[in-house]
Amino acid sequence: MKPALWGMAAVLLLLTAPSAAGAHVICGNRVFPATLTMDDPGVGDELSLPTVQLVPTPSGQSIAYGYEWDKSITRDLGFAVNGDYASQRSAAQGANGWDNLTLTLKDELPCKEKHELAWSVGVVRLLPGTGASQLRNSGVIARVGSTAPTFYIGKGLGDLPIDALRPFAVTGELSREFSDSPQLTPSAWNYAASLQYSMPYMQQHVMALKVPQFVTRLTPLVEVSMTSPSGGPTTGDIAPGVFYSAKTWQVGAEALVPANKATSQSQSLGFIVQFHLFLDDAAWKTILGKPLINKDLWK
Amino acid sequence: MTITRIIATTFAVAALLLHAAPARAHAFLDHSDPAVGSTVQTSPAVIHLWFTQELEPAFSSVTVTDRSGATVNDPAEIDASDRTEFNVKLKTLLPGTYKVQWHVLSVDTHTTEGDFSFHVGGK
Repeated sequence: MKPALWGMAAVLLLLTAPSAAGAHVICGNRVFPATLTMDDPGVGDELSLPTVQLVPTPSGQSIAYGYEWDKSITRDLGFAVNGDYASQRSAAQGANGWDNLTLTLKDELPCKEKHELAWSVGVVRLLPGTGASQLRNSGVIARVGSTAPTFYIGKGLGDLPIDALRPFAVTGELSREFSDSPQLTPSAWNYAASLQYSMPYMQQHVMALKVPQFVTRLTPLVEVSMTSPSGGPTTGDIAPGVFYSAKTWQVGAEALVPANKATSQSQSLGFIVQFHLFLDDAAWKTILGKPLINKDLWK
Repeated sequence: MTITRIIATTFAVAALLLHAAPARAHAFLDHSDPAVGSTVQTSPAVIHLWFTQELEPAFSSVTVTDRSGATVNDPAEIDASDRTEFNVKLKTLLPGTYKVQWHVLSVDTHTTEGDFSFHVGGK
């Protein structure tokens, strides 16, 4: 079957699946969707599969097929495992293989429901030597591990007095990535932020607009993700895009625009798409969809 | 690999995962009558709220308050024939803005809450 026909068949299959509205990090009226280039400020049972990222490079292109599994231990403590299968293509040669695994332990602090303020803290550990040796030897993936204490925050603007602004929300992430071997791979600051406009919020809490139902499930947004290694140039992407949120899943697509000159020297305009499944909804009867221990650490 | 094939792969994996999953989720407000943020000229006798999931009556409630915070509704009832619908009988409402606050437990045990306003006789 041709790719276009295969894609149409898959879209049809997707559209015939059960669907309706909304999920994920929930704080009062606000639902913070799972963002693509940064983490959201919550803990949950989720599966991002696949996240496909294509970035043209000066010598060819780089494609990453990513996955992430988030599992709650208690209602506010969870871990995540993520990685990707990387494919580098250039006119001269290509390299394929698994990237290193990354583990995250994350604790969601009590959210301020009235002010739609969610936050969490975590530790992200890059496990060295878990990726393909071919990629490691060619410098495509990291040769050394790192540990990154990370702070996540999300703030809905539903308490603003102007109705049209209330669907806005911002999220942020800040981490210090400590390299296991700074002389080989420098430590770095990583920081990211998103600005979102939630049409589901508009429809459910501000004003029921007479627009097609499809529109009421969209969240246009822009994400900015940057990394500043010690002694190296700051690089990153600006990622404008849109999410469609259904009952148990979300699809997101964003462009990846180089954020500065240093970034544009190594990549041009790329894109990222992701299918995200809310396991606490889709698999709520199983251990995959609920905490291992049904308690809160903070309550 | 072409962009078309990448997008097709994403949707194909998504479709397979979805069809393996049952359809249960958090309950969110689907729509209401009077509508969210709307203005009605006369006091409605009942406000209807429809949710995206069936609700557990014993752990779900709706409260309607005026600007002073006074409750203006009788106890809300879930429709016996459609457990996604909440019916809330109202006292006679004077012109003004009213806040509807809901707290519901869906049949898949997820608790959600939210609020919205509507107006009687103009803002």
